[in-house]
Amino acid sequence: MKRLHISLLILLLMLCGEVTAQTARVTGLRENTPSVFALTNAEIVTEPGNSLSGATMVVRNGTIEAVGRNVSIPSDATVIDMEGKKIYPGFIDLFAHYGLPEPEGADNIHWNEQIRAHYSSAENFVPDEETARVLRAQGFVAVQTLPGHGLFRGYGSITALGSREANRELIRSDHSQVLSFRRSREFGQSYPTSGMGSISLIRQTFLDAEWYREAHNAYNVQQGLERPETNRALETIDNARHQEIPFIMEAEDENWVMRSHAMASEFGLNVWIRGSGHEYRALESVSATGRPLILPLNFPDAPNVATPEEARGASLEALRHWYFAPENPGRVAEAGIPMVLTAYGSDKDFLANLKTAVERGLSPENALRALTTTPAAMLGIGNRYGSLSAGKAASFIVADKDLFDHTSEILQVWIDGQEYKVQPDRKEPRGQWLISGKEELRDAILNIEGRRGQFRGTVSLGDKSVRLMRIRLENDRLYTGFAGDSLGLNGIIRLSANLGSDELLGVGETSGGDFFTWNAARIEPAGEDSERPGTPFTPLDLPHRYPSVDYGPASIPEQPGHLLIRNATIWTQGQEGVMENADMLITDGQIAAVGYSIDAPRRAEVIDAGGRHVTPGLIDPHIHSSITGGVNETGDAITSETRIQDVMDANNVWIYRLLAGGTTTAKLFHGSANPIGGQDASIKMRWGHAPEELLIEDAFPGLKMALGENVKRSSARYPGSRQGTEQIIWDAFQAAVEYGEAWERWEDDPVGIPPRRDLQLEPILEVINGERNAHVHAYRQDEMLMMLRVAEEFGFTVGTFEHGLEAYKIADELREHGAAAVVWSDWAAFKVEAYDGILHNAKILNDAGVLTTLHSDNTQLSSRMNWEAAKTMKTGVDEVDALNFITLRSAQVMGIDHRTGSLEEGKDADFVIWNGHPLSTFSTPDQTWVDGRKYFDREADLQLREEVRQERAMIIGRILERQQRERNNNDEE
Amino acid sequence: MKSIANNTHISKLFRSSLAMLVMLLLAGSGLFAQTPAPPQQQPIAITGGTIHTITNGVIQNGTVLFDNGQIIAVGTDVVVPDNAEVIDATGKHVYPGLIHGQSTLGLTEIGRIAESTDLTETGNINPNIRAQVAFHPISEHIPVAAVNGVTTVVPTPGGSLISGKPAAMMTDGWTWEQMTLREGIAMTINWPSMRNNNQYREAVEELQQAFDKARRYQTARAAMEAGEGPHHAFDIRWEAMLPVLEGEMPVLVNVGDLRQIQAAIAWTEKEGLDVILAGSRDFGLVADQLADKGIPVMLTGVISGPDTSWEAYDQGYTNPRKLYEAGVNFCIAGESSAAYAYRLPHHAASAVAFGLPEEEALKSVTINAARILGIDDLVGSIEAGKDATLMITTGNPLELWTSNEQVFIRGRKLEMMDKHHRLYERYKEKHRQEQL
Repeated sequence: MKRLHISLLILLLMLCGEVTAQTARVTGLRENTPSVFALTNAEIVTEPGNSLSGATMVVRNGTIEAVGRNVSIPSDATVIDMEGKKIYPGFIDLFAHYGLPEPEGADNIHWNEQIRAHYSSAENFVPDEETARVLRAQGFVAVQTLPGHGLFRGYGSITALGSREANRELIRSDHSQVLSFRRSREFGQSYPTSGMGSISLIRQTFLDAEWYREAHNAYNVQQGLERPETNRALETIDNARHQEIPFIMEAEDENWVMRSHAMASEFGLNVWIRGSGHEYRALESVSATGRPLILPLNFPDAPNVATPEEARGASLEALRHWYFAPENPGRVAEAGIPMVLTAYGSDKDFLANLKTAVERGLSPENALRALTTTPAAMLGIGNRYGSLSAGKAASFIVADKDLFDHTSEILQVWIDGQEYKVQPDRKEPRGQWLISGKEELRDAILNIEGRRGQFRGTVSLGDKSVRLMRIRLENDRLYTGFAGDSLGLNGIIRLSANLGSDELLGVGETSGGDFFTWNAARIEPAGEDSERPGTPFTPLDLPHRYPSVDYGPASIPEQPGHLLIRNATIWTQGQEGVMENADMLITDGQIAAVGYSIDAPRRAEVIDAGGRHVTPGLIDPHIHSSITGGVNETGDAITSETRIQDVMDANNVWIYRLLAGGTTTAKLFHGSANPIGGQDASIKMRWGHAPEELLIEDAFPGLKMALGENVKRSSARYPGSRQGTEQIIWDAFQAAVEYGEAWERWEDDPVGIPPRRDLQLEPILEVINGERNAHVHAYRQDEMLMMLRVAEEFGFTVGTFEHGLEAYKIADELREHGAAAVVWSDWAAFKVEAYDGILHNAKILNDAGVLTTLHSDNTQLSSRMNWEAAKTMKTGVDEVDALNFITLRSAQVMGIDHRTGSLEEGKDADFVIWNGHPLSTFSTPDQTWVDGRKYFDREADLQLREEVRQERAMIIGRILERQQRERNNNDEE
Repeated sequence: MKSIANNTHISKLFRSSLAMLVMLLLAGSGLFAQTPAPPQQQPIAITGGTIHTITNGVIQNGTVLFDNGQIIAVGTDVVVPDNAEVIDATGKHVYPGLIHGQSTLGLTEIGRIAESTDLTETGNINPNIRAQVAFHPISEHIPVAAVNGVTTVVPTPGGSLISGKPAAMMTDGWTWEQMTLREGIAMTINWPSMRNNNQYREAVEELQQAFDKARRYQTARAAMEAGEGPHHAFDIRWEAMLPVLEGEMPVLVNVGDLRQIQAAIAWTEKEGLDVILAGSRDFGLVADQLADKGIPVMLTGVISGPDTSWEAYDQGYTNPRKLYEAGVNFCIAGESSAAYAYRLPHHAASAVAFGLPEEEALKSVTINAARILGIDDLVGSIEAGKDATLMITTGNPLELWTSNEQVFIRGRKLEMMDKHHRLYERYKEKHRQEQL
């Protein structure tokens, strides 16, 4: 008896699964429609690589009960014949902003509005049927929905894409974190405003989260301490890190992938990176991160090349990306990078783009894996989702044929046992129909073909035939007409009919107003050829380029083991001065000897530079090039925490152009919006290398500061005058001193709440300790003098004044203090503080014994630094000194003179071979070498131009061909 | 409320003090400015130097003799009168002064300070504007240009569709009147941007209307003056257009990209105007058409990066060479900034670094500029009968390291002093004192 009860209970449970899996109170009448289906005669792809034909799948209460060829159909099941159809596991998208409302403004949990780690996607989730329908139409059954605002954006949740209540659709609440480098403008224009500011704030916040835990731990066990703040965002971040839950990051190009990886490595995060489609450009580096990628299929529109002049605006970067973007998924997969695909960025075009990606090299199996088993496994829901077997969720796709066939369509998507129609059960009008009924049309043949939305057809009677007018199909009703005259009828005959599967039930009207009925029976089914076949893809022969931009090299130039330059006029800029008819030997990228009649070692490469001049590579100690995401962090006055090295961009054709002008080395600076801007980067123009490989690792680090007009321009923040500029700098330096003292006290006596790591104050403290140089943008003598005295108060020496238009007015003071001057040759008078700039600035400074160099502050100018140096000669500067302004002296102010800046034994082989006197206005470089590698060669450049021209022409030709074909297709219909 | 009032007060105060600062800067600096040279008092003979006549070759060990501001003789067998001041230029070079065809010199002091700028007038149609009357003789930038050999500049009003008439100015003198070499050099048209179709159509229509109305004025006034028609009132705008319509004054059309260039060519041809095209881009792309039609081109600046990412690193510098090779009649103007007017020779020189023959570069800032601007009867070469506007240099003026020893404008021997030199001397003195 008892046993019977139990089995009855089980049976009841099985039948009423819907009821037992939820808590909601039923109001009104209960609905108990059975939910048991047997899908028969289908081809079922149970998981990538495994397919069953003629198979049956039994679905009971949202779950798969059985799948297989020999499955018996339960007697309570509704049978659906899936003959000719193909069933796939439903797709899962790891990157969606689905069903989450726009934020209504910032909250007060954290001082910075962009820090919203505590934001719960589960609490805020409301299913959004409109979006769900779009995603289902592309084959998706579940998504990871992610909040889209802020830097720390909050928790992501997994949800099914059905149309029931939120708590019925949610699969897992708040299981991941979202971290973005893109702040949200919705929260105002406050800090951070730049890419490097965002990175700095994220780093500081991770550190704060650690401190927060330690502070509370201390506070909990010890009385008498100051109560630390309560901050749910920091608490969340610290917990998330230690629980190793996934952090989803966004990378808008391959460089941001690397930055995401760097962040993940620094803080030990389990990171998944939503990519951009640019990963093919740096597959090796991306692959080396080992981070899984969530790839969009956001293939770009073709650049505008419609007219010759518009085509001039199309960069090779954009053209190449148009061509290569569809290959990105295939290339990423082939490189063995763990990847999944997302509809983010393609939405309604996802499926079409997926087919293109498969055509362009992504294997169907990899494509399927990246949409099913891989995302399911990453989310930890592989036991329920991603494949089709007994016990798993009944969430699958029904397609009319193989999904990767370019004519395939998704007909239905099932989510947790619920069918969602994607394509309505549409009737087929195409084929041949035999008309009966209307006397005059009897035995006429109606022939309909073409594409959906663009049907065309004829009506023929005997040997006469006439084209049908526009054919419209709405709600299974067909509307058309034809000119009756050619068939012996008068005027326009209008027709309409209900479209059944094999019968047209019609009415019509003649031009005379005669209303009639007609019927037609299908005598010929729709032909296979009514769908236009796609034009097969033929690849273009495009070389690999890194960076993938104009003049991007196919490979890094070789470094000859030995290189001997012969018979040159060598400007050593060292003890040896200018040597006529001299030789320079380079071994493994370093200068081995400079002298006369040097013997060539075996297998040495020899360059006869007879009649030509060789100088050190030119060094520009101040440019703002190759920086992405903004050169100023304008959200605050003191932003010492921001670092150029975090946001360097090597996809910049100007790196090559600087080489063409002989510039091999530069310092990349922040702008001048801030009294303390941030940490600079010293780079060599290693064209073709990744951003981090441009860095000169052992350069002396610097901190960019600024005085004068620019820092006081913002009305919203302190300072508003030169007076305030002194005070805010003083205040920051004092805070740094006290910060250092706090850590010293803590190290002596680590009791209580520890000091908080402060990324803003640390670089300032380094300046005070002489471990970092202050590079101070300044124009007027008063502000420079002020800075000297503040520095002296804090016991450090100002590294350089940058621009220093009035430096000549205080040359003695500068020399006494020991500050260097980095100045323009002749910029002046473009604003009030520049009014007293004079050509003789460098001359006076140099004569006074101030370490003086020339800079450009302008990328174009930076490519002609020899002209800048030559201008100072007009004021009487000696030619060797003039060249020193752009070589050795610049190396000295950057703290890289131990390895570059002059041609002396042991230094890096950074040099230029000029076609004439290097300071002649008429001279230009023949070759530019960095680290003993030839990065620019006048002759090779001519060839490169031709390659660029041909490559552009090839891709533009392809775009025009394709556009022409599309136009033709449209015209035909 | 109070704080708002305060702010207004402060900003007013700020604005007026800024204006005062500018005035102080300008007026104060005037105290030190170079004193214009007196008129030539006696004949001057420059002997022994290498004379670069531009139009008649290079004369080694030659003599240039000038009096009353005009060149009397050039050659190796010039008889030097007894009363002449003889300047020995052995080992030196003599060149004509350089001509900068389109500048803001004299019309602006500090670009960012509106009070120091007189460049653009209200409205779109300003043919009556005359640049020379606003030429500020005491601008600090004028002597800088002069001592660096830029002896003629053409301040050009800008901004509007028809922005008025530039004048050729000498870079030395007490008043704008004295400094005017020739007024009414051209009628300046700034060809509208083609970025927005509607705005472009409207602008071209407005330009057409201006010319049509000026023609109606021309017809009616001619009838009136011939006593064949009734009285027609004076119209200051259309009156200013008459020399253009009568073929006495060219239009100088500032253009940007090649679509503008071709549109401007077609329109000026249709209107039967004498045209000079000025700009810095895309001329190279249509050089053969410019050559075929004999349209003179003024390149406003050469030192620039490529226009697109795919063009060669030297594309900006090779425009002059392309025009030269196609046979276009062109000259080179420097950048428009007043403070940088003196950089003119550098622009020409930069083209030499990328293939323009040196001689052509020199012509582009001397005789070719003079011919295009219609002042070659006065300047542009060292020839008898022309103004004695020339300079003695240490070498080729296209080399940045070259310095000028003496500049003459219309025979006046300039004080070789400008703001750069003045502040140089002043702070040399500071450092000298500090060493004591």
